[in-house]
Amino acid sequence: MSHIDTIPDEPKPLVRFARMLWADKFALAAVLFLLTVLVLAVAGPHWLDGAAQKQNLRGRNAPPFEWERGWLWVLGADALGRPLLARIIVATQNTMMIAAGAVVCSAAIGTVLGLIAGYAGKRTGEVILRLADVIMSFPSLLLAVVVLYILGPSVGNLIVVLSITRIPVYLRTTRAEVLEVRERMFVQAAKVMGASGPRIIFRHILPVVLPTLTTIATLDFAFVMLAESSLSFLGIGIQPPDITWGLMIAQGKQYLTTAWWLSFWPGLAIILTTLSLNLLSNWMRIALDPVQRWRLEMRQTRKGETA
Amino acid sequence: MKKALLWGAFAAATAMTPAWGQDVKIVLNEEADVLEPCMATRSNVGRITMQNINETLTFLDIKGGSGLQPKLAESWEQQADGSWRFKLRQGVTFSDGTTFDAKDVKASFDRAMNPAITCEVPRYFGGMTISAEVVDDHTIDFKADPVQPILPLLLTLLTIVPEETPVEFIREPVGTGPFKLTEWTPGQQIVLTARDDYWGEKPAVTTATYLFRQDPAVRAAMVATGEADIAPSISAQDATNAATDFSYLDSETVYARVDHSIAPLNDVRVRKALNMAIDRQAFLGTLVPDGTLLATAVYPPPTLGWNPDVKVWDYNPEEAKKLLEEARADGVAVDTPITILGRTANFPNNVEILEAVQQMLQEAGFTVEVKFYEVAEFETYYSKPYAEGRGPQLVVAMHDNSKGDPSFSMYFKYASDGRQSGIADPKVDDLIARASAATGDERAALWKELQAYLHDEVVADVLLFHMVSFSRVNERLDWTPTMATNSMLPLADIKFK
Amino acid sequence: MIPFIRKRAFASLVSLILLIVAVFFLSRLTGDPAALYLPSEASEEMRQQFREVHGLNDPIMVQFGRYVWDLLHLDMGESIRKARPAFDVVAEAFWWTLQLALITMTLVTGAAIVIGSLAAFRAGGFFDRVASVTSLIGASAPDFWVAIVAIVVFAVGLGWLPTSGTGSVWHWILPIAVLFIRPFGLIVQVVRGSMITALSSAYVKTARAKGVKARPIIFVHALRNAMLPVITVIGDQAAALLNGAVVIETIFGFPGVGKLMIDSILQRDFNVVLAAIMITAVAIFLMNLLIDLAYSALDPRIRH
Repeated sequence: MSHIDTIPDEPKPLVRFARMLWADKFALAAVLFLLTVLVLAVAGPHWLDGAAQKQNLRGRNAPPFEWERGWLWVLGADALGRPLLARIIVATQNTMMIAAGAVVCSAAIGTVLGLIAGYAGKRTGEVILRLADVIMSFPSLLLAVVVLYILGPSVGNLIVVLSITRIPVYLRTTRAEVLEVRERMFVQAAKVMGASGPRIIFRHILPVVLPTLTTIATLDFAFVMLAESSLSFLGIGIQPPDITWGLMIAQGKQYLTTAWWLSFWPGLAIILTTLSLNLLSNWMRIALDPVQRWRLEMRQTRKGETA
Repeated sequence: MKKALLWGAFAAATAMTPAWGQDVKIVLNEEADVLEPCMATRSNVGRITMQNINETLTFLDIKGGSGLQPKLAESWEQQADGSWRFKLRQGVTFSDGTTFDAKDVKASFDRAMNPAITCEVPRYFGGMTISAEVVDDHTIDFKADPVQPILPLLLTLLTIVPEETPVEFIREPVGTGPFKLTEWTPGQQIVLTARDDYWGEKPAVTTATYLFRQDPAVRAAMVATGEADIAPSISAQDATNAATDFSYLDSETVYARVDHSIAPLNDVRVRKALNMAIDRQAFLGTLVPDGTLLATAVYPPPTLGWNPDVKVWDYNPEEAKKLLEEARADGVAVDTPITILGRTANFPNNVEILEAVQQMLQEAGFTVEVKFYEVAEFETYYSKPYAEGRGPQLVVAMHDNSKGDPSFSMYFKYASDGRQSGIADPKVDDLIARASAATGDERAALWKELQAYLHDEVVADVLLFHMVSFSRVNERLDWTPTMATNSMLPLADIKFK
Repeated sequence: MIPFIRKRAFASLVSLILLIVAVFFLSRLTGDPAALYLPSEASEEMRQQFREVHGLNDPIMVQFGRYVWDLLHLDMGESIRKARPAFDVVAEAFWWTLQLALITMTLVTGAAIVIGSLAAFRAGGFFDRVASVTSLIGASAPDFWVAIVAIVVFAVGLGWLPTSGTGSVWHWILPIAVLFIRPFGLIVQVVRGSMITALSSAYVKTARAKGVKARPIIFVHALRNAMLPVITVIGDQAAALLNGAVVIETIFGFPGVGKLMIDSILQRDFNVVLAAIMITAVAIFLMNLLIDLAYSALDPRIRH
């Protein structure tokens, strides 16, 4: 008869997550990058605002990687001679505020409406769906111009415009998942056991829907940053000398063939942020799902621990 | 089967081959929404139709510099009562076969001025009552009250159409010019073909195809690959090939309009300080291309009455600070935040130029912020009626005057009633009225006097630059752009090497 | 199903009406076309004449009444800017947009489903990483960047393709390639995510446990159940394309609805804006209807 050792206790959640993060190096890199972005978003303007504003017409469009100038100019200078690295760091705050604000608002509102549309009665569902249709057909620029005229230009209104146009995708995706999930056995079981509507929605349906929504939201981050670029370029929202990555990209457009670095670095910032968010969300999808967790936990054990 | 293959190959080949022989392809930055002749003064229409499909009685020779030339009118003279008599060219036919005579001229004029049709033409004949009278088949009189010394110049803006043309926008313009419209695929291309029965010298070009691409990099690329022959407007960054790229003064002037009724801009010391605080030289070759001129008036140097003795303000930030202190000591609220208003995508480097100006002004002690607006909203700030409760503003606009005479600008920009005017000065009004009524040397002298007065004594605005544009031209063509290229591209000017 | 379609058609009509009313009144709050159409130097008298001729001086309810009356006679008014019926202007432009949208979304759907599924199959593996990273880079790169670089490389540099325009089949390659990238990136990720969940679900494990070796069968079953969120997102991206791909149209010179809409909004050409929104809305409503019907086809438990 074999002697079975006592099963070791599961380590604390924090340690568990740290181990899973370590198992996926890409996700680890993503987290570190995002933390850097967060820190820069908070501290950036305070630290580098002066340097980012100093114009130097003789040094305009200075190319990158000229180390003699100093570390601030490693990414080159913009059309007014201001160091690009400093500008990008300072722009982080506005960019993140607008992107996060718009994505969180649209995701939250869209999801709630979608849950209601999927779960509540026919009538409510139809009305909400038609609302989604209307928003999908309303051009975002017209909405931006109208909001601008009625409410005036400001960052807040920019967030309003950007979030309204993105609501439909969360709404419809959530509703679709709800339609599917509510017929499933475990939901029927919960109903039979007397669980209330909201409980079923939040405890049973939402966790199923969340992973897809996160995937969409992380890519929406990029879309919002790029959409903001064209709106600000038209004078709706962010005004120079305030900057965002999107506005820097739009302003660098005319130099694409001669001073490519003006648009390239802020574009790279957007790409890296999106990439990181997505890698993180893919990791979370696995780490937070008890059924999937083994993929990450198993990788560690190859080092020689007994399974 | 073989035939289909051959046609397929032919189609594929022609899709990518450059234009041959006497055909030219011209790529423009925006499409012409309409080709209506009475709208030819709008640049996106005039570029295609002016002097190509439709002609005018007289013609301003900007290319050769010889001044006002006869076109459909052979000669003209002012009568004793102030009216102008034009002797018209004979043997001219329209592209629909009908003969050209004085009745067509009168019909064209009445049609263009007709309020039911809303053309651009009436704005050039504002402030006067004017009528056309047919004397005989080849003579026509234009009577104006008050008398217009530059009436022949004004007629460079009236395109002539057959008298049967209906009073509504037409999509098939008929004219006396060397070309007729043979194809118009909206959004894609417009094709002009040479006429055999043109009255004048036959142009070297037989077919002209106009394409539309909004992005300047793409336009430049098209000429580089041979997909187009002329791109009349490319960006300064792409103009790197000396063999194909030409720069030209394009008759646009950038300036900041100042409203003299709002403190602290109502104090002349503050206005002088504004002008002295800006290092205009620093922009040349950096934010504006080499060849850009520093402006002392809203019309460029070749214009009649441009005063070479008016000097651009020196860059003197110390003096500017001194003036501000003086004003402050007298109780002028020099610390009120001044707003620079710009129009998005108005001209290249718009944003950077205004940000640089902001920085320069701030270094001199001003408090300045910059705001950008899209066209529609910008218009409400630029033209009267101005909004109540607005603060001190510098409205940065770009004004075009390629017509050769300041009268096209000065009333609107500087008269007390002028729509974009920020001043109300009786001496200015008087000079404008007298100059508009004068002729020859006296006229030039009066405009010069006005320019000096506005620039040096009134310090009416902050004048910045006379802008420069770039064109790219295929090496097989012999054509260079002129100051009028923005609004008119006569195909007859294009020769082949 | 027919009663469902009938009910949906009625509800869509109501939404269309609300949309028209909203756009009509809101757009008229945003400024004066006369100021934009006529040059700055035009007199107030000219502007008044302009407004008179285009019926803009009447009280707004009168203008609205007139518009509705014309609409019932299938007349969408005239474009102030182009002096042509607004419907003609929009229909021409929409045809180009429709072609671009259909071709692009077909290619995107096919490619994204295949690649997303393969990535999900070995989640975390080499193919997954490469596919994810490249598709994400493509999805988050600014589209004018990609377009201009593509033109510089393929048209000017290599001379393989024309720079822009709509002439031949070759002219379509670059615009569609650039339009393809963003929806592809998004949908690959959504497919991948859904497939991972589907592949590790109970019934797939059961099928495998029971010995169903054939991958295709597992694939198809998993795919079917993963498709619900996928087709929803496909619909969303298609709607975005139907609203017009402004940057592509502008750079490549395709006269589509996106550029038309932007220009008309900035020029306050109200009739064109309204006509464009109406036509696009009808297309989008139809598409959403098809997607909702597809839900039932994919998952019989969903009943309408």
